[in-house]
Formats: sequence, structure tokens, C-alpha cells
Amino acid sequence: MSAVNVYEQRPSHLDGQSPLHHAGLAELVGKGSASAGIRLRERKLLGHLVLRGDARDPSFAGGVHKACGVELPVALTLAAAGETSLQWLAPDEWLLIVPQGEEFAAEQRLRDTLGSELHYAVVNVSGGQTLLELSGENVRELLMKSTSYDVHPSQFPVGKAVGTHFAKTQLVIRHTGEDTWQLVVRRSFADYIWAWLQDAAAEYGLAVDA
Amino acid sequence: MSQKNRLPRGGRIDRTRPLDFTFNGQRYQGCDGDSLASALLANGVDIIGRSFKYSRPRGIVAAGAEEPNAVLQIGASEATQIPNVRATQQALYDGLVASSTNGWPSVDTDLMGILGRVGGKLMPAGFYYKTFMYPSSLWMTYEKYIRKAAGLGRAPLENDPDIYDHMNLHCDVLVVGAGPAGLAAALAAGRSGARVILADEGEAFGGSLLDTRETLDGKRATDWVDQVLAELQSLPEVTLLPRATVNGYHDHNFLTIHQRLADHLGETAPRGAFAQQLPRQRMHRVRAGRVVLATGAHERPLVYGNNDVPGNMLAGAVTTYLRRYAVAPGKKLVLATNNDYAYRTALDWLDAGLQVVAVADVRHNPRGSWVEDARARGVRVLTGCSVIDVRGSKRVEAARVAAIDAVAMKVTSPGEWLECDLVASSGGYSPVVHLASHLGGRPAWREDLLAFVPGEGFQKRLCAGAVNGVFNLGDALADGFEAGATAAAQIGFKHGASELPRTEKRVEEPSFPLFQVPHEKPTARAPKQFVDLQNDVTAAGIEQATREGFESVEHVKRYTALGFGTDQGKLGNINGLAIAARSLGIGIAEMGTTMFRPNYTPVTFGAVAGRHCDGLFEPARYTAMQAWHLRNGAEFEDVGQWKRPWYFPRPGEDIHAAVARECRAVRSGVGILDASTLGKIDIQGPDAREFLNRIYTNAWTKLDVGKARYGLMCKEDGMVFDDGVTACLADNHFLMTTTTGGAARVLQWLELYHQTEWPELKVYFTSVTDHWATMTLSGPRSRELLSQVTDIDLDRDAFPFMSWKEGLVGGVPARVFRISFTGELSYEVNVQADYALGVWEQLIEAGKPYDLTPYGTETMHVLRAEKGFIIVGQDTDASVTPDDLNMGWAVGRNKPFSWIGWRGMNRADTLREDRKQLVGLKPVDPQKVLPEGAQLVFDPEQSIPMTMVGHVTSSYMSATLGHSFAMGVVKGGLKRMGERVFAPLVDGSVIEAEIVSSVFYDPKGERQNV
Repeated sequence: MSAVNVYEQRPSHLDGQSPLHHAGLAELVGKGSASAGIRLRERKLLGHLVLRGDARDPSFAGGVHKACGVELPVALTLAAAGETSLQWLAPDEWLLIVPQGEEFAAEQRLRDTLGSELHYAVVNVSGGQTLLELSGENVRELLMKSTSYDVHPSQFPVGKAVGTHFAKTQLVIRHTGEDTWQLVVRRSFADYIWAWLQDAAAEYGLAVDA
Repeated sequence: MSQKNRLPRGGRIDRTRPLDFTFNGQRYQGCDGDSLASALLANGVDIIGRSFKYSRPRGIVAAGAEEPNAVLQIGASEATQIPNVRATQQALYDGLVASSTNGWPSVDTDLMGILGRVGGKLMPAGFYYKTFMYPSSLWMTYEKYIRKAAGLGRAPLENDPDIYDHMNLHCDVLVVGAGPAGLAAALAAGRSGARVILADEGEAFGGSLLDTRETLDGKRATDWVDQVLAELQSLPEVTLLPRATVNGYHDHNFLTIHQRLADHLGETAPRGAFAQQLPRQRMHRVRAGRVVLATGAHERPLVYGNNDVPGNMLAGAVTTYLRRYAVAPGKKLVLATNNDYAYRTALDWLDAGLQVVAVADVRHNPRGSWVEDARARGVRVLTGCSVIDVRGSKRVEAARVAAIDAVAMKVTSPGEWLECDLVASSGGYSPVVHLASHLGGRPAWREDLLAFVPGEGFQKRLCAGAVNGVFNLGDALADGFEAGATAAAQIGFKHGASELPRTEKRVEEPSFPLFQVPHEKPTARAPKQFVDLQNDVTAAGIEQATREGFESVEHVKRYTALGFGTDQGKLGNINGLAIAARSLGIGIAEMGTTMFRPNYTPVTFGAVAGRHCDGLFEPARYTAMQAWHLRNGAEFEDVGQWKRPWYFPRPGEDIHAAVARECRAVRSGVGILDASTLGKIDIQGPDAREFLNRIYTNAWTKLDVGKARYGLMCKEDGMVFDDGVTACLADNHFLMTTTTGGAARVLQWLELYHQTEWPELKVYFTSVTDHWATMTLSGPRSRELLSQVTDIDLDRDAFPFMSWKEGLVGGVPARVFRISFTGELSYEVNVQADYALGVWEQLIEAGKPYDLTPYGTETMHVLRAEKGFIIVGQDTDASVTPDDLNMGWAVGRNKPFSWIGWRGMNRADTLREDRKQLVGLKPVDPQKVLPEGAQLVFDPEQSIPMTMVGHVTSSYMSATLGHSFAMGVVKGGLKRMGERVFAPLVDGSVIEAEIVSSVFYDPKGERQNV
């Protein structure tokens, strides 16, 4: 047996339920105002992996680059290549997001590349969180209602990502395009965040995208 | 009633847009642009309420935040009641309903006035102090009388229909106040490209420029205001916050601003563009690089006899009502002053075509430009004089003006009574130093200005304009511009010089100190000279305080109530402390001010709460099976922020019946529990095992791959703080479970020790609580049931107790742990949460032939207690060691490396044998359930206070055992098996119990190991 227990955790033949499954977002698509200042899309059931290691160690950094096709991002930033993104979470912690169902392969590729001598950790957390994408001209105001982190473009440019306080809980905010932001939300808090977002967005109009 | 005091022309009001409103049941009409106060004055409403202590009629005095009297209750319906509204700061809207807060039974009739005349005797200065001193029992009696008589507004009894929210703002420069200095500062900072916020409490930006007779560049000052606002609006990084009071200046340049978004629009906020509810008020939480305080100044009234009769107003307020609101609050004006600026009011009064009876100037030879202007227009200027008394009960009828010696505090001429209906006074200007002082910077007295200015600032802030004592308009503009430019430059934004508007050239002379106008009689016998109108504090009361030995300004405040109340002494404090200083024979600087604390003006609770109310009050965390729990009628229990199914009642069942049924099902058949909330931490690394050795009390060296073990975690003091089962997934890979409530703090604890004490250990921790959903099958038939839906070999030898297996459950990859918290044969099935509901539903379906029973936390608690399994936080309280729990078996006494808690549990005190120890308690009466938390004694006959020897930690009725049972801690309890303890209850009854083993059911543990 290998030193770490790794296996395919996602069944290939079943549809999963994202943390916001019960909210019925699919039924809300197209029902919001056309002039909505906030558009929300759940990028659900993606592969989420937490990566731990020593960024100063070239064999780790190089291995991650090789396995993911993305270089380890520096503090408070996000790097992306195609559908894969790698985000700095802490000095020795990153979040790797890959398309649905690719997380097992991604983990194996990482482990194969990094080898068994190096000390690092890869943990599948795909079932534990979801990604909400917010776009529209009022997203910044919505975020200002929700977090005390400064979301002005001069302080929070595209490519920045932070874990911070949000309403009465915490989550990760990623700035991925001029008017596009992503929230990484923990499963058990998703209902609260969804309720909060609907309330905070009411002033600007909210539309749900598929 | 018509608007009898409305001027035909002028003002920033729209006469074509009349607005109806009601005050004390009477209907009136005002205009768009009015404040509630200006509309009341326009209608000739003199009496706005009655005073706190003496029940004297009171009218509107000021035009801004410093107003002490016109503090009204507004709201047309019960749900929309708002107390504490300053009529001077409330914009008039159509349909506004206002009433006096302190006019019981009516502001105009004098029933209370009869009491009021003797009220002074009943409630002398020092009333609060003395009643608190003795006899304290009477306070309750006094208080009812005072509250009823004073009435400081009331809270609504119904839910507020409006919503309130919060906004987090960041800026380089926050400019507080949009008067001349603030506008100039915002302009200078804004032009530099800095992120600027300009906030002002008024309905419109401009401050004193909205009503000044002074010109800028030869044009109306408001033209310049409009021009500046247009430029600021064009700057993308400038945010303008109108109707926004900066109420608090907190540490690290964090400020709170309360913005009234809809208070000027109507009773409740209107609907927005998407038919949604708009917030009525918004609290901005601002983090500012630099703060420019341009908060201006409040005019001080003069303190003379009967200066509280309606018709006594601040000079500047009279100008505001005349020029901004086109309201003349009288016909015949007597003006009393000690400075040049107040002459503007006399000139404004003349411009309105009204009569100035006289100006009484305490100075002997004033020659300033405005003074000469007034003289040139025929105004009678009486120098070396002041108003010393006023006649009239519900309205000023005459003022007595006499020559005075303000230094010797003497009246030097008999004076004359001048018929008038309005006395405007100005005793100088008090900079609004509140925000500058919120963080402890004590204001500094400037004798040359006769004003306290902001003292040393410990924050990154600048002050500009009148708050700095810069009262001249041109100087204030320059001061503001300089402050704005400097603030921006300190952040790194630069902008070249700009031209400031040209102001009028004029001679201005200094004012003369006058904080109390002398009277022929000593202060105590003179007509009442009010200092603090809201609290009915007189000059005589302050003198009495000093005579009785109160020398500190804080003591004078508490003795007299000076500066208490919703206005916090904005109008009266400086006069009051100057009077106290003179009475004590010390300087004003030495006297100092009282503390200034947030908030600057009263704040609604709604604005404080924001959207953190009702369903958004607290995050609720749900598991992946929540939808099923809801569909199946679960009652929920809060566990931390989690909502956990508590029990699943069937029709007609109460909690007891449901729990008894669920317990029987698990003991005799099979039950299913949603255990997803348990904390789960993935631990990887070659030193994971060693780390576990050090963090848990027991040993992990020999735990094989595929096995699981229960562990106790202690703090350094040797006290239990969490527990759970940890499984070895692979040589370098463990999965730790924690209590539901302890998940976050355990992860933090692991990281803390790893990062600070043992960074050399190669190990990483990652929370997987939300990734895995966990469902527990428990009961003798659980193996049979699980075998229907899994490919895992469940044979007792292939898959023994305290081990785990990987396989498919319901077609989903799962890890199944054979561990038990009920004492029965149990399997904990873990699957990725996205697929959990489907697996749960398959188990429910497959469980039908087995009468699979969903159970909740209550049943889980009973079942584990029957087995003597502890719940950390319920049976422990951070003062309990593993030995106290009789769990010494979980302590690895021979581990080679020391571990957390080992030293703590070897102290003499933790080794005592008479410590409170966890035992079972069996009530002698099998139907009586000991209350959890009940104190235990050995001798119930002893006298009170009894010697308490422990308490009940867990207690239930057991359907399985057929009797009640409990666990509790008892001093030396482990050596007292068979002895009796007693729980004396609050109702006088006593429950007797036998001390027994805490394991009530299946003591050999055979049922979980089949």
C-alpha cells in the first residue's frame, strides 16, 4: 500500500448534487431582470484539490508547474491555464481547481511528478466547496456590502484572490475579470451565502446564468 | 393654520410643493426643502415640548445637531415609530407625523407646569447623585415619576417595516463635513486623484455656505458650492455621502457613518427599481488613510435669566431659518452678542424687512465691519451691555438689557425692558471637536479664540476650518484646501496649486469672554439661567455642585447631569464648564472637558444591526442530507452553527415518545444518523504518526493501516478539550475526527503546535469536514442492511471493530468505518458530499425491510450515555482530566516524547484523589430524571449554604434500561460506588441517587464487537 490513501471518490455514472442543488438555480435561469446589475452562475461540481508544500523547494514548485501546467502563484494571486486554476491560499497552501471528474487524475499526476521522497500533501475537497461566479456592473458594491476587504481595483486587481471575512462567515474572493469575481464557498455555508447574496443583490437586480 | 412666519421670497424651499404634516395631532403645511423644525417655525409653533425637570415650555433653539429641545417622536403607525429625532435634522416629507416626547399630558396645557414649579424643589441639582447615594430603595419610585414626566421617546412595539444595511468603504482621504473647509479639502484631495469620501450630516452639502450672506468671487456662496459639487461628481474616485453623519472615530482610522438614505422621502423607504425593498438607513464602515475633520463649530448661546422661554434662539440659527428656509421666527428681534459674526443675523433680519429692536454687545467699543454696517442701517447698538433677563411664559415678550461688567460679574445699570418676541444670542463658537476626541485626544483651550480646539491627535488625521478655530470664511477655505492637499500628499497623491474663491474684505474684531451673564441677584436667587436645556441644568446648579466639593469636570457632570441626554451637551457644555471653572477660581484650560465618546448623534438600532437579522442573523450550516431531513419532519437542534436533526417525531409523538422509539430501534434493529457535522481533518506526512503521539494523550505508534483508535486531546493543563476517532488510512496518512463544535479549534490547535513548537515535523493538516458526508448505521441489524448495498466484505473477521474499509456503497466510492458511539454494531459510511443524499436514500430504501429508523442527536445522546461515553463540553468543562473521567486507559504514560497535557496532569492538584470524578448516577426513584446541571450534596439535611460536591452532567430516561439514569461529577466519586448523593432542587424537593459505574449498558462491550 502506498504511503497515502488515494482513490477515485467520484462515481462516474451518477449526477452529483452541488451544495446549492436545493436552491434550484437552473430553474431561475432567464427569470431575472435583463438589466440586472449582478449575474450569478454556479460553477458546480468542479474538482477542488488543496495542495500543501514548500514553495521554496524547486522540486516542489517545478513539479507542480509540470503537473498542473500552471506555475505556483505568489501570495494573494491566482494563476490559470484553460480550465485549470491554481490559487495561493497560504504560504504553504494552494487551491487547485480542475474540470469536473479530473481531480483524481490531477492528484495522481501531481503525486507521480512530485514522487514519494518529497514532503507535500494533496487533498481532494471537491465535495466540500463550490464556486460562485458573479459578474455585472454592481458586483463591487455587492462585495462592499459583504466584506470589509478593500475590493477597489487599485487594491484588488484582476488576478488577486484572498480568503476573507464575508457577511458573518468567511470565504475566498477571486477577481478573475474586470467585472467578474468568484467566491469559493464551503458546502455547509452555501445556503447562508446564497441567502445573503440574494438579499444584498436585490438593490441592483439579480439574474442567474446557466 | 397658514404658514404665518413664512417669508414671501428667498430660501432654498419650493413653495410650489407644499407638504402636509402633523404635530401633536394638529395638521400643518410646510414646503419641500423644509426641515421639520423650519416647518414648525413657519407655522408659528412656539412650544415644542416641556423640559425634563421643571416642565417649562420649550421651543426650537438651534438649526442643527446641537438642538436640545426639539427632540421628537415621529411615525404615523406603531411599527414606524422613531424616537430621538432632532426636528432640526429631519427633512419634512408629505404626511410626516410628529409628536412631543416630553409634553405629558400636553405641551400647551400647564398641568405639569404646576408640578414643574415645585419640581425644582423636588429634584434639585445633584438629584441623581444623591438618590444613588441614599436611599437606593427610593430610586425605583423616583424613576417612575421622572420617566413619566420627562419621556425621552419610546421604541415601537411592532416590527420595523424598513430594512437597514451596511457598506464597507475604503478611501485615501475621508473628509468629514462639507462646509467651506470640507468642500475645499475634498476638492484639493479629489483633484490629486486620491480616493476621497466626503460625508456631511446635512440634507445638502455646503454647511454654513447654504445660508451665509457672504459672497465668494462676488457671487452667492451657493454658486461656488454648486460648482465644487459638480467638479467632485465628475471625479471618478470621489464618493459623496449626503445625509451621512460621521458618528464614530475608532482605532486605526476606522470610522462609522450613518447615512439616512430614505428618511427624507417618507414614513418608510420606497421600493427600488426592481420592486425590492430599499434600505432606510445605511451604516458605512470606513477605513481611511487620512481623515480631514472639517466638522465646523456650534454657536454658544448666552446664559441669562429665563433664557429658555420659547423665542430665545441662537443667532446663527435665526440666520439659517431666515435665509435657508425663508422663515422668520418672530417680528421684533433683540440680539445679544460678544462677537462680530452675530451681527450678520441683525443684517439678515433687516434684509427680511423685520425690526431689529436693539443689539446688546458686551464689548465696549466694537468697530468691526458688520457692526458698522448695522449701525449704518440704523440699528441701535448698545455696547457694554447684555440681555440679563427675559419676560414671557410661552413666548418671549420683552428682554431686559443692562450694562454689565462681565469680569466682575456685576450689572452696572438698571437697564431697560425692550419689547420683542425673539432674543437671538451668540456667545461665540465651540469647535465640534467630538470626532477629534473620540480616541482620547483631549481638546486644548485657546484663550485667544475662547474655544477648545482639537488636541493632540493620535490618528492620521488633520483638522480644518472652524473646528480648528478658523472662523473667518476666507481663512477656513484656505485651511481646508491645505488640509486636503496635505492629506492626499501624505498618501502619495500630489496636485498643483489651485485658486481659491475671493472673499469679502472686512475688519473682524475679537470676541469677549462671556459664559454667564451677570444678574443683580446672586446666581442662586436670580431668574433661572439655563446652561443645559435638555437636562434643565442651570448656572445655579453648577455653582452648587462646586460648593458641594465637586471639582472635576466629570464629577460636575454627574452631579448636575450637564451634558447627559441625547444632545450630549453640544449646546451647553462649554458654558457649563466655564461657569464651574469661574466658580472654582481656576482657568478653563485647567477645568478641561468631559470625555467625548461615539456616537456623535443618536443612531437607530436598525442601522447597527444592518441585514444581520431574521434569517441572516447567524449562518446556519446544513449537511448534504438536509433536504431529506426536512421532508421527513425532523426537529432540529443547534450545534454550533450547524442545524442537526434532533429527533424525527411521528404523528402524535412528543420528544420523549420519539426518542424512546428511536432508542429501541437502534438497540433492537437498526437506525441511521446523519453524522456529517463531525469535524474531519486529513493528516498527511511522514511525521503524522509522531504528531498524533504528541497531540493526543494516547499512543499511535502501533496503529496499523486500516485501523482506527479513539483519542483524547488535552490542553497543556492536562484538561480534556476534544476527543474523537482517528483512522490510519496509509503509512503517512490519517483521518482525524473531532467533535462537531470543536472542528475549527482543533485544526487551529494542530496548526498552532505545528507552526510554533514542532515545525520540524513533516505533516500537513487539511479540513475535509465539508467534503465528506457521514451516515451512521447502528444496531444489531446494521451489517445485514449494509450488505444489501455494498461490495465490502462485512464479515466480522474480515472487517472487525475499530477498522475501516474502502468500497462501493450504493454505487458510490466510500470509506466505511466500523466504530460505534452507541455501543451497538455500527458502520459509519463516508462518501463525497455531492453524492451523499443519493446514498442516504438508497440506504433508507434498502432499510425498509429492517424498519430502518432515522434518529437524531437526542437519541444519540441517550444511547452513548447508557454506554458511559462522554461528550466533551457536556460531561467535561475544561477542568476535567482523563483520570477524572476514569479514562486513564486512554493515557499513554510511557510514550517516549512528551505530549500535550502530560505535565499538567502530573501536578499535585491534578493527582488528588478527591477531585470531582465522572460517575454514573442511578436515581432511587426510577421515574425521576435528575435535571442536568443540578448540584449534588452528600447530606441533604445540612443547613444552607450546603457543601456542594459535584453536579449532574448528563441525564435521561432510558427506554432500554427501564429507568432514569445520569452521569455526573462527584468529589472522590470513583471510590464511592454504592454511596448515595442528593440533588436538592429549587422547588424544595430532593432527588436521591446511587453512585454507580458510568457504564449502564453492556459493560463488557460485547454488542459493538459482534
